[in-house]
Amino acid sequence: MLTVNSLVKRFNSTLAVDNLSFTVKPGKIFGLIGPNGAGKTTTIRTILNIIKPTSGEILFNNNPITYEYYNIIGYLPEERGLYKRSRVIDVLVYFASLKNLNKSDALSHSDFWLKKLKILEYRDKKIEQLSKGNQQKVQLIAAILHNPQLLILDEPFTGFDPINQQEVKDLILSFLSEGKTIILSTHQMDLAEKLCEDILLINYGKTVCSGKLSDIKKNFGGNNIRLAFTGDNDFLNQFPEIIKYDHYHNFTDIQIKDEVIPSEFLKKLIEKIELNHFSIIEPTLNKIFIDLIKENSGTV
Amino acid sequence: MKKIIAVAKWEYIEKVKTKAFIISLIITPIIIISFSILPSIFFNEEPPKVEIIGLIDTSGIYINDLENELSQYKLPDGQRNYVLIDLSFKYKNFEELKSTANENIQKNLIEGCLVLYNPGSDSVYAEYRSRSIGNFKNVGRFEEALSSIKLKKKLEQEGIDTKIIKYFQDKVVVEQLKVEKGDKVSDQDFLTTFFMSIIFILLLMMMVVYSGQMLVRSMIEEKSSRLIEMLISSSTPDELLTGKIIGLSLLGLTQIFIWSLIGISLVAGSLIPPSAFNNILPMLLYFILGFLFYSSLFVGIGSTVNTEQEAQQITTYLSLVLMLPVVIAMPSIQNPDLLVTKIFSYIPLTTPTVMLLRLNVESVSELEIILTLSILIISIFIVTKVSAKIFRIGILSYGSKPTIKEIIRWIKE
Repeated sequence: MLTVNSLVKRFNSTLAVDNLSFTVKPGKIFGLIGPNGAGKTTTIRTILNIIKPTSGEILFNNNPITYEYYNIIGYLPEERGLYKRSRVIDVLVYFASLKNLNKSDALSHSDFWLKKLKILEYRDKKIEQLSKGNQQKVQLIAAILHNPQLLILDEPFTGFDPINQQEVKDLILSFLSEGKTIILSTHQMDLAEKLCEDILLINYGKTVCSGKLSDIKKNFGGNNIRLAFTGDNDFLNQFPEIIKYDHYHNFTDIQIKDEVIPSEFLKKLIEKIELNHFSIIEPTLNKIFIDLIKENSGTV
Repeated sequence: MKKIIAVAKWEYIEKVKTKAFIISLIITPIIIISFSILPSIFFNEEPPKVEIIGLIDTSGIYINDLENELSQYKLPDGQRNYVLIDLSFKYKNFEELKSTANENIQKNLIEGCLVLYNPGSDSVYAEYRSRSIGNFKNVGRFEEALSSIKLKKKLEQEGIDTKIIKYFQDKVVVEQLKVEKGDKVSDQDFLTTFFMSIIFILLLMMMVVYSGQMLVRSMIEEKSSRLIEMLISSSTPDELLTGKIIGLSLLGLTQIFIWSLIGISLVAGSLIPPSAFNNILPMLLYFILGFLFYSSLFVGIGSTVNTEQEAQQITTYLSLVLMLPVVIAMPSIQNPDLLVTKIFSYIPLTTPTVMLLRLNVESVSELEIILTLSILIISIFIVTKVSAKIFRIGILSYGSKPTIKEIIRWIKE
């Protein structure tokens, strides 16, 4: 279990991380989300002990993180790249050796993962001869080769096609089943929504919201419905129950007042228009993200 | 420690395999040796030819003696090196004679022309006109011949025995020998000394520049691809830095080893006199320590760099510093006790190259060797420490190049 208590990181005059506290439970994926420049990478770097926090503490299984933890941490940085002119297997063995893995283990683990991600045929090729997607797979393997207890993945899905994204997702989930602690930092809200149980949304280095994703959704604004109908949407303006609506090409998302019961509202609608679709929807993480960040940025 | 070895091994093996390294390994000595041997070949191989020298001597009393004096200089095939022709035609005045001589020189009819002023008197003096004024050998010989004639004439006037005159003219030849440790004496000439020193300095410089560039380039790769983040989430910056320096030094040692093999085979092939390797032990020490010093410097500076261009600039500046001894080489060889040379011997940036030079041209006292080596070793430690501090922050700062002020703050942190 990873616990971060009132983490502060100041660079000269800028406050990159402002009093963050959160807990990452094992066996669950923790989503660290926020817009660009929100302080995600700085937070990750302090957890990784790459930079020292100005104040606050980071505990892993109740012990402060020190250099000894290097061997049980796996990290995939956001920007990708490897030693282009070196062979795949050499690079993997090098990274494994930096995690104190001996050579025979490094070789067998490498082969295992290369096979699992279906790139075993490139084992002895130079990195630069691989496609971009396959290069990223190699880097992902380099991050997980030593079977880390704490895995930090910064945008693990970017640059992968849907099939590879699925493979990466399966791989992450397989780690989860072994009870490992995983931090996922991403912009891809749909994936975060599917994978993460707990999230921390930060902006300007501060917590915007945090907790269980299901709780956040519940608190965010419970009464949302989705409609599909034929005709113009102007008629929606006559309903006092509607707080606001977003019209998309095929459907319209509507937020209604909390006290309104959706089924009652449906009856009213049927009288007015020919409905093709009606559903009660939860707000997407994407929507929560955009709304909260907009609101947050507006107040700062 | 295990991780340091892992880093060192990686840095070494991945770089040893590169084409750039293999090429530098073979090409560098070839270039340097050809550069240093070719000029001396040209010097010696200048095709000997008979030189026609004009003489303007209005008194006409010197021509025979001069011809006699100059006849001692023979070409390898037995011909005389100089043929004198008298240009002092009676019907022209002095100025006209000189301009005719100039014309003949211009037209390449004669090699040069000796013009005597106040011939026959005690205050005789001469000028030598030719297309180039760089021929010290000829001028030296003419001077010698004329002085000898002047002296002979004076002595004859005074009625001194010709035997004594002959005795006067017999010169004592002074041969130059360099005294070295262990009562050894070497007779290598100036050119050999010069080129031997320059070869070692050039080798060190090339090595530092090559491997420095390789190191900085790989660090730029690690930085721009953010590989560095994976590295320092696996090992401490100090481990990484030490590993890199060790890897680079091993690379340097490999180069030295292979170059030594080349050197030994050259000695065996007697292209280089064995005397060039008299001081090989201290020279190797300076070489290796110098390389270590610059490697640790490069690691620190390299971590602040973001682009190839910046890297190139820095390596250029550093190689200029390394080239400094070449500039002071001439005066140092002529006067090894020069204060400037001594001062540079104690500045770590120039210690290795200047000492390489001094070891070759003079016998340096053991005290000085120990002192400079100690300074070098201490500065390697200091530079490594400072570099480590710069490295720690530098490798994580992307984008704009840090200012000197920022770097100083990193060091203080």
